[in-house]
Amino acid sequence: METVKVIINNKECVAEKGKFLIDIAKDNRIGIPHLCHHESLRGLNSCRLCIVEVTEGSRTRVVTSCTFPAMTDLIVQTNTDHIKKMRKVLMSLLVAETPDNVKIQKMAKAYGVADYSRYGMNKGNDCVMCGLCVKACEEVNCSAIATVNRGVTKKIATPYETASKDCVGCGSCSYVCPAECIKIEESGGIRKIWDKEFKLLKCGSCGKYYITEEQYNQLSNEHKVPQESLVCDCCKNDKYAKQMAKIFIK
Amino acid sequence: MKVRSPVVFKTKNAPDIEKRGIYMEDTIKLKQILSGYPEEKRFSLAIMQDVQREFNYISREALELISEHLSIPLSKLYSMATFYRALSLEPKGKYIIKVCDGTACHIRSSLVILSELEKLLAISPGEMTKDGLFSLETVNCVGACALAPVMIINGEYHGKMSSKDIAGILEQYKGGESHG
Repeated sequence: METVKVIINNKECVAEKGKFLIDIAKDNRIGIPHLCHHESLRGLNSCRLCIVEVTEGSRTRVVTSCTFPAMTDLIVQTNTDHIKKMRKVLMSLLVAETPDNVKIQKMAKAYGVADYSRYGMNKGNDCVMCGLCVKACEEVNCSAIATVNRGVTKKIATPYETASKDCVGCGSCSYVCPAECIKIEESGGIRKIWDKEFKLLKCGSCGKYYITEEQYNQLSNEHKVPQESLVCDCCKNDKYAKQMAKIFIK
Repeated sequence: MKVRSPVVFKTKNAPDIEKRGIYMEDTIKLKQILSGYPEEKRFSLAIMQDVQREFNYISREALELISEHLSIPLSKLYSMATFYRALSLEPKGKYIIKVCDGTACHIRSSLVILSELEKLLAISPGEMTKDGLFSLETVNCVGACALAPVMIINGEYHGKMSSKDIAGILEQYKGGESHG
């Protein structure tokens, strides 16, 4: 394995060649703020909050760390005054886009955005339009949602903004959403998401509702799991924890 | 207008096509367009443009057929169809009136032309008249700035417009309709 030496905020890190800066920083416990980056859905590059200053030889420039691979030895600064200033502008634009979103507001406060009256507020919108949910939906082989329209009217929606036949109600979109704005309603064994209702199946071990019928059908096409032997994540972790305990605690 | 009746029309890819209320002539035209292209993702825009040209809009049935033909999720096609202004998901009139509102036309008061059209046709941009004859749209520069303000009806350019010319031009199209 070829390695490169990356100095992040004066800390020397050795990393695999071609690894993205955001991952190298994470491995070395250096936090870089981000919204649209998820470890299993890479390279969206749309929130741009993860900008850092990279010095390569004598040249210094600003790049997004989620899409910048370390190919040579680099010096990286994640919190210079220049970066802080740029990040502040980006953050205030995001707040203007999602004025009612509590999570984004909290983040903005943390990055020192106090006054954002400079921009017009896009009232009633909670989405930062990062596209992470669309990518997640694509990854689970559903592609039920996509961006619709363009410009100021752009939004995430199902085709014709009605219940989509491709949606299995797995909730991946809601899980990855950094702005926490995709709502799932669950009551009495029925899950409602994207204007569609799904019947939920119970965990074979603890008896809690945890998977939709459509999602089970999609999975059973690939793996042939009988419905009775389905267990939820909690029970699965519990089972493995007990097995591990048996091996290591004597 | 010709009365068309729904017919049972089965295809390998779309067995439930008759349930969708699609008409045989339209299906044949659609299938002709589809058969001209290999089943590859990169032809999706070209197919949609052809469908737009043929029917003046892309129906939901057409979009679903394209999705099945190319094995592309419907959401991706819907996303593209809503992105490009050249593609329409709503039916359009027989004559599509495009009023240029580019810089040159705007300065030469294209908005007066537009409001005159709105008054005469009783529709706003993006809509179609009740008789299905005219649709109204605005476009941003058609490259005929020397003729500003410009109005285009089904590819026919009407340059150096003034609001008093409009009623006459619309009559020409309406007249052609009743005689032909």
